[in-house]
Amino acid sequence: MNAVKYFFIAKTNLKNSFAYITDSVFSALFIALIIFIFSNIWGVIFRASASSEINGFTLPAMIWYMVITEAILTSQGKIIVEIGDEVIKGEIANHLNKPYNYLLYKYFSTIGSSLSTFLISVLVGGFVALIMVGPVQINPIIIPFITISCLLGVTLHFSLMSILGILALWVEDANPLDWLYQKLVLVIGGTLAPLEIFPSWLASISFILPFSAITYYPAKLFVQFGFDEFLRITIIQCGWIIASFIFAQLLYKVLSKRVSINGG
Amino acid sequence: MEKNEEYKVLVNNLTKTFKVRKHAQKGFAVGLRSFLFPTHYPLNAVNKISFALKKGEIVGFIGPNGAGKSTTLKILSGILYPDFGEIKVCGLDPQKQRKELSYKIGTIFGQKPQLWFHLPAIDTFNLFSRIYELDQKEYKKRLDYLVKRFEIEEIIHQPVRKLSLGQRMRCEFVLTLLHKPEVLFLDEPTIGMDITIKKTIRELIKKINREEKVTVILTSHDMGDVEDICERIIVINHGEIIYNDSLAKVKEKYVTKKIVRLETNKPLVFKEREGIRVLKKTEFELEAEIDTAKVSFSKLAAGFFEKNDIEDVTIEEPPIEDIIEKIYEEKPKNKKVTEK
Repeated sequence: MNAVKYFFIAKTNLKNSFAYITDSVFSALFIALIIFIFSNIWGVIFRASASSEINGFTLPAMIWYMVITEAILTSQGKIIVEIGDEVIKGEIANHLNKPYNYLLYKYFSTIGSSLSTFLISVLVGGFVALIMVGPVQINPIIIPFITISCLLGVTLHFSLMSILGILALWVEDANPLDWLYQKLVLVIGGTLAPLEIFPSWLASISFILPFSAITYYPAKLFVQFGFDEFLRITIIQCGWIIASFIFAQLLYKVLSKRVSINGG
Repeated sequence: MEKNEEYKVLVNNLTKTFKVRKHAQKGFAVGLRSFLFPTHYPLNAVNKISFALKKGEIVGFIGPNGAGKSTTLKILSGILYPDFGEIKVCGLDPQKQRKELSYKIGTIFGQKPQLWFHLPAIDTFNLFSRIYELDQKEYKKRLDYLVKRFEIEEIIHQPVRKLSLGQRMRCEFVLTLLHKPEVLFLDEPTIGMDITIKKTIRELIKKINREEKVTVILTSHDMGDVEDICERIIVINHGEIIYNDSLAKVKEKYVTKKIVRLETNKPLVFKEREGIRVLKKTEFELEAEIDTAKVSFSKLAAGFFEKNDIEDVTIEEPPIEDIIEKIYEEKPKNKKVTEK
């Protein structure tokens, strides 16, 4: 793999993302609204429980947890639909005859284009969380580890979405797959609330599914960091990434032989 | 098929059939069954076609919609997989050596731009220099040369969305030529353009072909493109090649009628004969249709000039569209023209 070309693909996408900065701002405003609403809801729940902690989470930890999960989830956009459309409408033709791996091209494009959205979301969401519930205590030394965990979450998110995007070749419309996937990550992936507050049967299912490694683990590390936990989570995330990326590549190999682009 | 280094494209017995999904009619149960157990019917896009292109040749690949032109181009550039057939482009197998081939070919699909819409063209040029792993010093030299040659100095730092269609297309060509491709696949490169831009693009294609000895294979519905640019045409219909020869020979064979308009300074001297159909005649003017199969056009013209004091003369040939239509009508579906 020629790393330089993929670095430039990410860089060009980052530059291009500034053309869509209003999209990032709207996405961040949506997160601000979500954080505002959930701060109020959790505020009521915490007051009703007359406890400073629910399943090990304080109110600020619960809200800051959501800042990270929402920032990861919204930063990437609709990769399933994007890849699906490229496959169905034939835009993929412009990629198939270039000297790069299509999935790596899409991955580095995503990393480049989602960076600004992610940072704006963390800043805006964090600002609202700060006003609503105050800060969480974190040691600045953990920031590089959290960054790695978020990056791995984003990578896994991409990998799973690329599999579903490629499947659009068979189902002919990627939108229903995108809708279903986003809801799975949102609900059983622990984006809206940590898995600890789920009923135990649902939590045990969620823990073994890959969706929890996208948003739940990085966000939990952010509010409850432990080095051993970081290593355990990194192994889980890497395992899912390797498995899903290999599966996506195999699927892509099949796709590239079956692609049937409309003629002119 | 002759194996020769001189050939840049060699195609032998290429066949491609698409499986097209049958869509369900009405009703939930029928729709569900169709989703779970889809049925397909075969669509024969390209059927045992063979042809070859020499280095520096510029060939028009023409045919009606659905004839198999774009499918062939996409197979040659490694995008689609054929069912069977032997293909070599620049000596490489497009499907097995897709990546290696990508360094040697350039593609322009008229309806699928490669420039980044919101960024200046220079950013896409720089990105492609990395994608094609070009030596950065060589790239700068090449870019300077192409930018001057295509006269885009003033526009490469403006966002592509602010450029006119013609300016964009010139930038697309520069982008495609950065890595010095040996073969260019141009699929409808002038689609949607007005006549002025079309002329510019045609000149550019000829210039690239002349100066860099690039082999060009072009599909277009605009016969003006083909007539202006191509030396040879390959006509494809129903997935089969029905004509493969030089454009001059096409005209020689199929242009059997010419319209001549004459204006004379003195009263016209003219005698009607077989093969000449008078359309309009006055004392100083003549408009006639000449059947070149029955009358030698050069002898006839020489005779006119000898006997008359000509003020003005125009000769009209039927448009190339009519000629191609004639080929479609004339060639029976099952008659194939193979390798040239």
